[in-house]
Amino acid sequence: MKKLHFDYSMRIDYEEMVSTCSFTIKCIPQKNNRQVPDNVHIDICPPTKYCLGLDGLNNPQIYGKNGYPHDYFTYRITGDVVVGLSLYDDLAEPGLAMIFNHPHGLNIPGENIKKYYDSLDVDGIDDPYQKAMRIMYRFHDDYEYMTNSTNIYTTAEEAFSQGHGVCQDFAHIFIALMHLAGIPARYVTGLIVGEGASHAWVEVLSDGKWYGLDPTNNKPVFDEHIKLGVGRDANDCMINRGIMHGGGLQTQTINVLVEEIDERKMEND
Amino acid sequence: MDRLKLLEHTDTVNELLARYGVKFGIYKNNTFHEQLFPFDAIPRVIEADEFDYLEKGLKQRVVALNMFLKDIYSKKQIVKDGVIPEDFIFASSGYMVECEGVTPIKDVYSHISGIDLVKGKDGTWYILEDNLRVPSGASYPMIARDLCRRSSPGTFSDLKIEDNRNYAQLLRRTMDNVNVGGHSVILTPGRYNAAYFEHSYLAEKTGAHLVNGSELTVEDDKLYFITANGEKERVGVVYRRISDEYLDPMNFNPESLIGIPHIYDVFRKGNVALMNAPGNGVADDKGIYYFVPKMIKYYLGEDAILNNAPTYLPFYEDDYKYVIENFDNLVLKDVAEAGGYGVVFGNKMTKQEKADFLELLKAEPRRFIAQEVIDFQDLDIVDNGIQVPRKADLRAFVLMADEPLVWKSGLTRFSRNPDSFIVNSSQGGGFKDTWVLSR
Repeated sequence: MKKLHFDYSMRIDYEEMVSTCSFTIKCIPQKNNRQVPDNVHIDICPPTKYCLGLDGLNNPQIYGKNGYPHDYFTYRITGDVVVGLSLYDDLAEPGLAMIFNHPHGLNIPGENIKKYYDSLDVDGIDDPYQKAMRIMYRFHDDYEYMTNSTNIYTTAEEAFSQGHGVCQDFAHIFIALMHLAGIPARYVTGLIVGEGASHAWVEVLSDGKWYGLDPTNNKPVFDEHIKLGVGRDANDCMINRGIMHGGGLQTQTINVLVEEIDERKMEND
Repeated sequence: MDRLKLLEHTDTVNELLARYGVKFGIYKNNTFHEQLFPFDAIPRVIEADEFDYLEKGLKQRVVALNMFLKDIYSKKQIVKDGVIPEDFIFASSGYMVECEGVTPIKDVYSHISGIDLVKGKDGTWYILEDNLRVPSGASYPMIARDLCRRSSPGTFSDLKIEDNRNYAQLLRRTMDNVNVGGHSVILTPGRYNAAYFEHSYLAEKTGAHLVNGSELTVEDDKLYFITANGEKERVGVVYRRISDEYLDPMNFNPESLIGIPHIYDVFRKGNVALMNAPGNGVADDKGIYYFVPKMIKYYLGEDAILNNAPTYLPFYEDDYKYVIENFDNLVLKDVAEAGGYGVVFGNKMTKQEKADFLELLKAEPRRFIAQEVIDFQDLDIVDNGIQVPRKADLRAFVLMADEPLVWKSGLTRFSRNPDSFIVNSSQGGGFKDTWVLSR
């Protein structure tokens, strides 16, 4: 069990004025069996009224519209999350589990992924979690991480065929492999200890529970990850979504910091 | 005799329809063509008893389809109980995950259902397909009746025919039933939509505002109509004639320019009614069609009153074998296509086409359904002054207000091509009025 502090900020600078912008942000950690968030603060600038709600997959979302001319948009979400309270995140509601049992969108396997799956020879393993772990170890060895080698539209099959990708691609390919193995699997967006960007991993259904596996880092999810949202693929749970009128060229900057809070040190201060 | 009188006025009525702008727009090779929707003056006539039977069957079907939609987007009991395989729901392009857990006002999903039927040569009616998204076509028989009454008033005083001009009242009652407080609006994608005439006609007849996306705005989880002088007035119900994908760029297709950002979030919170509710595509898919009689049994404990056309699902091994063995007698339909596209007749394929198709069927059995070709009753039309028989279907309209209502009329579409079974207006067909006789 660890207590993590997170700080997520996003800034867009526009070359020209934006007259109206609509946004939806899915960047709020929710309580589950593995994590308990606390002290979550949301700051949007220029100050904009927003609404809170849950999307179809129960991901928390903040959404709103800024109808005043502006040339930048920024928000920052901070908070503390106790993680590692359990090995699994949620109990699976049987109805919802069905949704994650079928190829969809960016995770649809093609010939190359199917061939690769057949080469794994894992049919003898009955327990879904053990099977998923075995596939993860193999896949991690056979696939390379490479920054900026794909984009948000890259499908699992495309990313697999080129032999390298980023965490989103690791997750999509892994979901495709899980479906081929007959294991319901879902895409997870979240944050991981360190500095940089958001992260993505996978949850697999085993014994009625959703277990997190991080194929990019080759390990189960336990006390270094903060979960933000789930979906069938990345498009279901994009952290930032927006449309605007005007703006011209835009520059987006995202900063993420997640660090462990040392409780004793805090007491001494 | 009276019908003959009406025939003499065919040209007058068609001229009036043209003047009123009763047109159908279609996109072909990426350009927009507007064509007249040819009206044939010989009506389809349905006796009172026969329509009573249709009415009972249609209500039953639409009630079950609504229960199915509610079930799929909440408990999914029908799937858990093994009545419908998961693949037909969650791998279907009509299933929308965004609609999970969202309950429309008064649990109504399909406020307006367009159910297509044909009558076999033996007099049996068969359901061809259900249209639960934005079925169009009611305005055509409405205005045609109106014009026929003007050109041949005697016909309608001598015969006892149910007045079909009440469709607007039925529609208004349906809108009022779910209005959460505020304006009633009809949302159109605009002038270049295939059914723009219908949008403006129904707005005029129901007294609802005809609006486009830029006239609506979301603020604080509520939907507002922006008046001509810039004031914002609350909207309680939207009869939207924009497909799900384009309705809300923040929840569905982000490229949509005709939608209203966050309108689905307002709907999700119960602060506006959307007619029809998004997500209905999961219930009017051609694959799901096969299961509708099972659905009726499952939810209502009744046998289906109206028959489906005999249908096979190659997804099931037995059906797959049947399809291979009886290929030349069957019509094959791609479940993802609509409007008469993706429909092929086994006996009309060349050897090569057949071989290619069988390969595709083997690779993607879920993608197709196969049906026996129904020998349906021809209806007479007047073609260059001569009466000739042509294939025709009937689109019946079922409205879900405080109770299910069946409009005592319908859109009868016919094929102008003597060899064609495809009656869709997007493929050049014409239409007739549908007379339901009263007692």
